[in-house]
Amino acid sequence: MNAVITASGLGKRYRRTWALRDCTLTIPDGHVIGLVGPNGAGKTTLLRLATGMLTPTRGTITVLGARPAAGPAQLARVGFVAQDTPVYARMTVADHLRLGAWLNPGWDGTLARQRIGQLGLDPKQRAGSLSGGQRAQLALTLALAKRPELLILDEPVAALDPLARREFLQGLMEAVAGHGLSVVLSSHLVADLERVCDYLIVLVASQVRVAGDAGELLASHHRLSGPRRAPGTMPAGQEVITESHTDKQSNLLVRTDGPVLDPAWTVKPVSLEDLVLAYMSRAASQTPTARPQLGVVS
Amino acid sequence: MIRLSLLQFRAQVVSAVITMVVYAAVLAATGPHLASMYTADGVGCHGGCHGGAAADYFTGSLIRTPYLVLYLLSVGIILLAPAVIGLFWGAPLIARELETGTDALAWNQSVTRTRWLAVKLTTGVVTAMAVTEALCLMQSWWAAPIGRAVGDGASGTVLAQGRFTQLVFDTHGVTPLGYAAFAFTLGVTAGAVIRRTIPAMAVTLAIFAALQVAMPLWIRPNLAPADHTVLSVASLGGVAEAQSGPGGTSFTLTALSVPGQPGAWLLSSGPVNAAGQATSSTPAACTSVGTAGSGVGGKESSNGPVPGAPSFVGCLASHSIRETITYQPASRYWRFQATETGIYLALALVLAGYCFRRLSRHLS
Repeated sequence: MNAVITASGLGKRYRRTWALRDCTLTIPDGHVIGLVGPNGAGKTTLLRLATGMLTPTRGTITVLGARPAAGPAQLARVGFVAQDTPVYARMTVADHLRLGAWLNPGWDGTLARQRIGQLGLDPKQRAGSLSGGQRAQLALTLALAKRPELLILDEPVAALDPLARREFLQGLMEAVAGHGLSVVLSSHLVADLERVCDYLIVLVASQVRVAGDAGELLASHHRLSGPRRAPGTMPAGQEVITESHTDKQSNLLVRTDGPVLDPAWTVKPVSLEDLVLAYMSRAASQTPTARPQLGVVS
Repeated sequence: MIRLSLLQFRAQVVSAVITMVVYAAVLAATGPHLASMYTADGVGCHGGCHGGAAADYFTGSLIRTPYLVLYLLSVGIILLAPAVIGLFWGAPLIARELETGTDALAWNQSVTRTRWLAVKLTTGVVTAMAVTEALCLMQSWWAAPIGRAVGDGASGTVLAQGRFTQLVFDTHGVTPLGYAAFAFTLGVTAGAVIRRTIPAMAVTLAIFAALQVAMPLWIRPNLAPADHTVLSVASLGGVAEAQSGPGGTSFTLTALSVPGQPGAWLLSSGPVNAAGQATSSTPAACTSVGTAGSGVGGKESSNGPVPGAPSFVGCLASHSIRETITYQPASRYWRFQATETGIYLALALVLAGYCFRRLSRHLS
């Protein structure tokens, strides 16, 4: 398994504030990777650094083994759909396809026309008069038809209504299935990611809180409830992610590679949303350093 | 990339073409009549004709016709064209992309930002220069009779200005090429730095206007070392004289042209005494000789001393007062044109270089 994105000590500062600070992560290829985190976690900055829209203040970032936006060949390998899916408002849909064809040697005109046809977009319509969902689809079409190896999407569906959101993600999944490209998709809405992502990275304050295959993450996390248990008395191998206690009862979300055998606990599976929220709400100081993060590729 | 650049430049090109067509139509419709007036007034004679009075009459009579407005409009449009281009073509080039977020679209195709900017800048600069110079050439053709009248010695009106005056120098020859290239790249740079279109337009206008004022006032006269000459005040073709102070004890004497140097650019002039030092105190014998009947006041005289009457200028001449004149000879016109255009083109290059640096390293 190779990495599509490797970041090491990566930082980006705007004047005095750090938008991303000391971020180290590895994103494996062949996945649809969900990058999730609260607003201000540095998701957008990380993705803009990965596309070369920004240059790092500190550290390094490598995308598909090369510096982002290093040259035309590197640009051709990475597709990017930015936040709010920008398109040229005054240019028509057909103009956008022309733009794609002119600027990309690997342009797949058939794919582009097919997608526009399926979406029912009028090629003569100006992009400025498209609905949010149509605009997002046009931006996705441009990014897909250049036939990248890696597609990066920054909150592509954040502004869309639920139906448009589902159609967009469906279109994305079809393309992934058809062309076998790696996708990195950021969102602060876990429900979107749950539908399409098979690999999850939770980013909080520039730091990776948890990263791993979605299935493995779900299998290794459990919600436990039972009689009150003093904090810090869990057996080795059961890491408490979040805990809440009442006078009589304890509710825990634990991570363990083995089964939970203590009969005092009622064990329930967790949803991806619970899991992500647990990691997002967990204080930064609690992040274990000794334990290797599950599924992170070295 | 060139095709995209042209596609995105379509609106600007269309507006430029419309402007040029209207401009050309108005000039073409009136030009022949203007030329016929010029021959009708008899200043269009060929070979050894020095009809200064006829030329004066021609330009003087034009003042009372709509041609004055037309002339000022046609010149004004050429003066404004580079600024308009800088504001509406240059400033949005990068700023608009950043504002609308389309930079992420433009710079994530398989074309580097450097190439994107190179093509965009080249398209813009070439179009800006072509449009401005086309306007210039049309205006030069239309205003040729006025130019010939000035060559024949017409002076004294807004239509009869020498080639070195701002109105003429800035709108003829090759300088508009430099202004257009500079204004466009200035707009692009302001947009890249400020990242918002409207403020970038304002800054572009402020800087360009300031430079267009500073250039003729303070920079252009020094582009070549000026020539000096000291002449008898009696030999001055035209002077502006004034006496002031109690009893007319101080005076000024300003030359209106450089004798023997037709078309020269007069930079400054003033009276000097026998020792060659600048002076403003009236010789005692001349205080009683008024300039306009009264001891204090001023008058303009373009005909020199009035024969027979006791003349102030004549009195000054007889008391060893001479006039020193600093000027640029007419023969340096093209040298000035080339130097100034070169300065603006060099500035444009520097700005363009900065844009490339900024785009590849710092931006967004």
